[in-house]
Amino acid sequence: MRRIVAAVGAAALTLGLAACGGGGGTTSSEDTSTAASDHASLVIGELSYPTGFDVNGYSIAHYVQYFNAVFDTLIRQDGDGNLVPGLATEWTYDDARTTLTLTLQDGITFTDGSPFNADAVVANVENFQASSTPDLSNAQYVESVEAVDDTHVAYHLSAPDPMLTTWLTGSFGFMAAPDSFANPDVATNPVGTGPYTLNIDKTVTGSTYVFDKNPDYWDDSYVVYDTLTINYYETQTALLNAIQGNQVDAATFMDVTSMDQVEAAGYTVYTSQLDWMGLLFYDRDGTVDKPLGDVRVRQAINYAIDKQTILDVIQLGHGTVTSQPFGEATAGYQADLDDYYGYDPEKATSLLAEAGYADGFSLDMPNSSALNQDLLSAIQTQLADVGITVTLTDTGANFITDLLGGKFTSSWMQLASANDWQFAQLALVPNATFNMFGTQSPELDALFETMQTGTDEEAAAAAQEVNTYVVENAWFAPFYRIDNFYVGNSSVVVTPAADNASPYLYLIQPAS
Amino acid sequence: MLSFLVRRLLSGIAMLAVISTLAYLLMFMTGTDIARNLLGQNASEEAVAARAAQLGLDQPLLTRYVDWVSGALHGDLGTSWFSSVPVTELVGQRLGVTLSLVFLSTFFAALVAVIVGVIAAVHRGWIDRGLQVGSIVGAAIPNYLVALVLVIVLAIQLKWFEPTGYTRPQDSISGWLMSITLPVLALVVTTVAGVAQQVRGSLIDALRQDYVRTLRSRGLPEWRVVLLHALRNAAGPALSVLALLFVGLLGGAVIIEQLFAIPGAGSLAISSTSQGDIPVVMGLVVAIAVIVLVVNLVIDILQGWFNPKVRIS
Amino acid sequence: MSEALTTQSAPAADPETAVPSLGRRLLKDPLGVGALGFLLLVVLAAVFAGVIAPYGWNDQVLADALQGPSSTHPLGTDGAGRDVLSFLLYGGRFSLASAALAVVVAVGLGAVSGLIAGYFGRWFDSLGSWAANILLALPAMIVLLAARSVVGPSAWWAMGIFGVILSASVFRLVRAAVQGVRNELYVDAARVSGLSDVRIIFRHVLRVVRAPIIIQVASIASVAIAVQAGLEFIGMGDPEIPSWGKALNNGFTKIYQQPMLVLWPGLLIALTCLALTLIANALRDALENTGATQPKAPGHAGTPGATQSSVEDVPLLEVHGLRIAYGVPGGVKEVVHGIDLDVRAGEVLGLIGESGSGKTQTAFGIMGLLPVGGGITGGRVLWHGEDLVSKPAKELAALRGNKIAYIPQEPMSNLDPSFTIGYQLVEPLRQHLRMSRAQARERARELLARVGIPDPARTMRSYPHEVSGGMAQRVLIAGAISCEPELLIADEPTTALDVTVQADILELLRSLQQDLQMGVILVTHNFGVVADLCDRVAVMQEGLIVERGDIREVFADPQHPYTRQLFDAILSEDDVRPAYVAREMAR
Repeated sequence: MRRIVAAVGAAALTLGLAACGGGGGTTSSEDTSTAASDHASLVIGELSYPTGFDVNGYSIAHYVQYFNAVFDTLIRQDGDGNLVPGLATEWTYDDARTTLTLTLQDGITFTDGSPFNADAVVANVENFQASSTPDLSNAQYVESVEAVDDTHVAYHLSAPDPMLTTWLTGSFGFMAAPDSFANPDVATNPVGTGPYTLNIDKTVTGSTYVFDKNPDYWDDSYVVYDTLTINYYETQTALLNAIQGNQVDAATFMDVTSMDQVEAAGYTVYTSQLDWMGLLFYDRDGTVDKPLGDVRVRQAINYAIDKQTILDVIQLGHGTVTSQPFGEATAGYQADLDDYYGYDPEKATSLLAEAGYADGFSLDMPNSSALNQDLLSAIQTQLADVGITVTLTDTGANFITDLLGGKFTSSWMQLASANDWQFAQLALVPNATFNMFGTQSPELDALFETMQTGTDEEAAAAAQEVNTYVVENAWFAPFYRIDNFYVGNSSVVVTPAADNASPYLYLIQPAS
Repeated sequence: MLSFLVRRLLSGIAMLAVISTLAYLLMFMTGTDIARNLLGQNASEEAVAARAAQLGLDQPLLTRYVDWVSGALHGDLGTSWFSSVPVTELVGQRLGVTLSLVFLSTFFAALVAVIVGVIAAVHRGWIDRGLQVGSIVGAAIPNYLVALVLVIVLAIQLKWFEPTGYTRPQDSISGWLMSITLPVLALVVTTVAGVAQQVRGSLIDALRQDYVRTLRSRGLPEWRVVLLHALRNAAGPALSVLALLFVGLLGGAVIIEQLFAIPGAGSLAISSTSQGDIPVVMGLVVAIAVIVLVVNLVIDILQGWFNPKVRIS
Repeated sequence: MSEALTTQSAPAADPETAVPSLGRRLLKDPLGVGALGFLLLVVLAAVFAGVIAPYGWNDQVLADALQGPSSTHPLGTDGAGRDVLSFLLYGGRFSLASAALAVVVAVGLGAVSGLIAGYFGRWFDSLGSWAANILLALPAMIVLLAARSVVGPSAWWAMGIFGVILSASVFRLVRAAVQGVRNELYVDAARVSGLSDVRIIFRHVLRVVRAPIIIQVASIASVAIAVQAGLEFIGMGDPEIPSWGKALNNGFTKIYQQPMLVLWPGLLIALTCLALTLIANALRDALENTGATQPKAPGHAGTPGATQSSVEDVPLLEVHGLRIAYGVPGGVKEVVHGIDLDVRAGEVLGLIGESGSGKTQTAFGIMGLLPVGGGITGGRVLWHGEDLVSKPAKELAALRGNKIAYIPQEPMSNLDPSFTIGYQLVEPLRQHLRMSRAQARERARELLARVGIPDPARTMRSYPHEVSGGMAQRVLIAGAISCEPELLIADEPTTALDVTVQADILELLRSLQQDLQMGVILVTHNFGVVADLCDRVAVMQEGLIVERGDIREVFADPQHPYTRQLFDAILSEDDVRPAYVAREMAR
């Protein structure tokens, strides 16, 4: 009974304070933020939760903070995307770029007391390779890994991998205690060297993850809170409510329509651009849908879309109109390609007529309840204006499966394009995940070869040529690069990651 | 009475078997590519195939179903494909939350419904009309809209409550009460008028019975006639409504939990259904069916207590 | 003294002829008419959406998104730049049609199976109830989620499946109603008279279940519209079709940018559901003939009381110009047209007449226990010279059971089935005589012994359904006399009993009357009973007293043709009337 009285009292008190403060954006009346100022606790809101902390659950993007809490990575990134030491202090390639040698920190132990050393790295790599982890392709060029001595480990590659060191800042770089691999609860009771340990009693899988500070943490270059809580929210609406109630210090946020509410609640919005959205053509040889085999048709579609209006209405202007698939952070990016295809429905109509489709044709595209229906019907309307009839087929929960299974010749899609080689592997090379119909040309193959094996300068030049090629040949119809948001209240300072949707956990620090 | 209960129990178990089999077949037929959903769009086909094999998705349906049934009979409902947690643990963790939500809502909905229903049945007039209107509007206005309005006004504007989240009673009773008030309110507001309407109906039926006139002819005070005699006779139909209310609230909790970010069985049901996490869905189906079964049994026992005819036979 | 009173022409007493057709009655309910008009408007707007709507539902000008109301877009535009008005008009087509689908499936499946299960029972009943239990045990939302992944996102399928789920509650409703009716005597009678099963079902059963089904239809339609919106909310909607639910959810996602987007579909959904309910209620009221205005008792407009001859001769009860009426839609129907009666202490008055003559209504009127919808519209009821009509309910209650007691005609239905007989006997004793529990129990046992019950202690513990009709009537008599009342009103106390028991009960009443020197009003249709017990008699026909007088005089020389007709009836029917015919329809 006394507790109930206390609760009512607390509510009244909160109300009173809010009234006195005039509802201003200050957060001083909230327990969480006052506590955060002496680094007692950090509460993060997320829209995803990992399938587990074992190797099969390893993932970055919006999941990365869960893993950063318990695992250190071999290499880290700063906010500009520069690689900085993590568990490895140095890394060097041989001249052929097929052997990468890491120098490891000495004297670090996992939270179960076992030592972190070269053998532990080898065990982690082998565990990764033997798994069905989503990022298994990170290891595709790694033939073997060798413990040179206790603090040196060598990755032997079948071919150069420009992305390898970047992979080591993510899933492929998570270091878990080898002894834990065989534990039956490996997925729910992670053992790493990281700044926190998972508090299993207070954690509710799929809802709330509570982490306690690792008292023996080796790295004092950044602040570790006493407790870290990551709350999972199933819907944007719930997360928005939590933000408006100041229940989280920092959060992923995607809903452009309520940015005003977020800012009014006293949060800072951090923006980065990692992905672009638009239409992807897969059947560029016209094997199934003959019209798509004609470059003029693909160009016509590029001209038919009023990208700026869609950006303004659907994204409320939070993005940058573009015609190129390479992101601004890549070497392949060329500013003048952004407006290569302007909005010109007449040109679209005449290109279609030239290609022999004056009477139009129809295209079947996949739909899913997870997609923005307003956006899809905008696409339908604008393509209908130039005579192309788009029918939408619902794919239920199998949107990606059906796409990758080659059931559709084109689709709306959002792709990450923050790294040249990563993007090439995702969407351009003949066996790329999103090159389902295997479009290929000798000219491009040579460029890809250079991107993979050449020096940084050679690779950059090749990437630019690739970019120009796919834009001119209208492999895609990009609409815009979208702003990626992360929000934080006044108790934290967030540095957005250069190539990841959520900031790495060590990039969220208390406001001084 | 005992044989009656045993009969109900046996029919319940048969029901459980039918429901779980149907659910298993349904889930199988969905053809959701679980491995792909687990791994995301950037995963390679090799990784997806490896995961499918690891989950045993390449086994024939019958083998998998037999495995599941034999496991279930030993109390082992398998492990979630999505979160790698044993299903019994996952469902157990979530179910308690939902049950506390649903039981509290049922209790308050029933309490308010009886009060309003009695007033409407006795006084008729505008309260009665208002109740009829309220019950239909309550059924037609989606509870998420009500919940959103409650959150915006009571939590965000007035800051009386936390807008989202759930505090476990073992961590803090007052925190628990604070966290559960708004969801319960949202559930009660949208259901109470409908139940009150039912209470009103059965009470009016009871008040039309001959014995009510006879009781009045004995000079019993009106409150005794209505609240003791008529209400007790109306309890039978009203209790059946209560069982339905409970099931309805269990369904209503699905959306409400999602909106309030409450880690209950409802939000688990949505995510595991859309992910195709068959072990979890099956665990939920079994658990919910068992709970509904138990609730119905309790209602039957209460029916017997209220209605001597059932008790004897 | 025997007097024949002039027969006035009374208003028609047959409710069937007095009540206009269903449609006409419905039209008299202004709320119902308004609701019907609104619904009609919505349906027409949906049907003719193609003509009325300024745009197609999916016509969008993206640049015009999220505008407020204007001359080109009367309700503004949504997040994709569609015209909200057009979207809602086309959406109405789908929302109404899919709600109709759910209703048709639910009622079609539920009513037919419920009829079969309730009427024929046996294995179909067990199977149906079992299936209904399964459907009701599963949260609908979860079933729809699972079903969606099998049959795809089609909202038609979803609503059809939802109809199947809801059919379980229709099934239960119909089954219970049919079972109730099946066991009613009039269906038995119909069976005996050779009607086929099908005709029995249509004639009697459907009449009973139609009102609850109509209510159910309104709520199914409302819930279907709501569930549709719920499916949209959790992202499980049908992307191909416009609906109100989709409009509501579209608005929901833009609630901070353009709150009006929630308002329009929300209002439309709420008003449509409201209209459905109001129509259902109006229909039910018209069918059940209730909900009409309660006739108001005029302050004290009764005819002045007859002059009282002398003080010691003040009757126990005097009734002057008593009028009783019932509200019917559009007016008031009078059933007792101003009658006079009086009973002296220790005197037994027989009130005799056929079913529907108003004698039972008179008895109820005296006690102030007219059913809902009925009221005293004129006259006075004087108890020791004090008017009961204007007495506050509380004081009247203190009189009832204590000074004025009542014995009903149907023993089984007049005992509360949920309480033991002992409890029901003890209750008034504690209420009126302020006895302790133990005293009251002791007294109750004595009473039961007094009315001739062999094992009072055991009967005290029994529930009403555990005793026979004759026993139950003795229990009711014991209850009536428990506080030694001055006046006992017995309404056909033997009609529902076996012939062999009737004589015993009459004998019991006679001896009690003599022991306690009670005044008695004996309501009956049977002159044999009157002859047995009564000192005086009043003959009632169509709400009027047509003849009254001393029992011997009336017997010797009946004045009114109706009285003579009643005499003839005794001879022809040989005292054995089937119980069901005797039941007063006006109860």
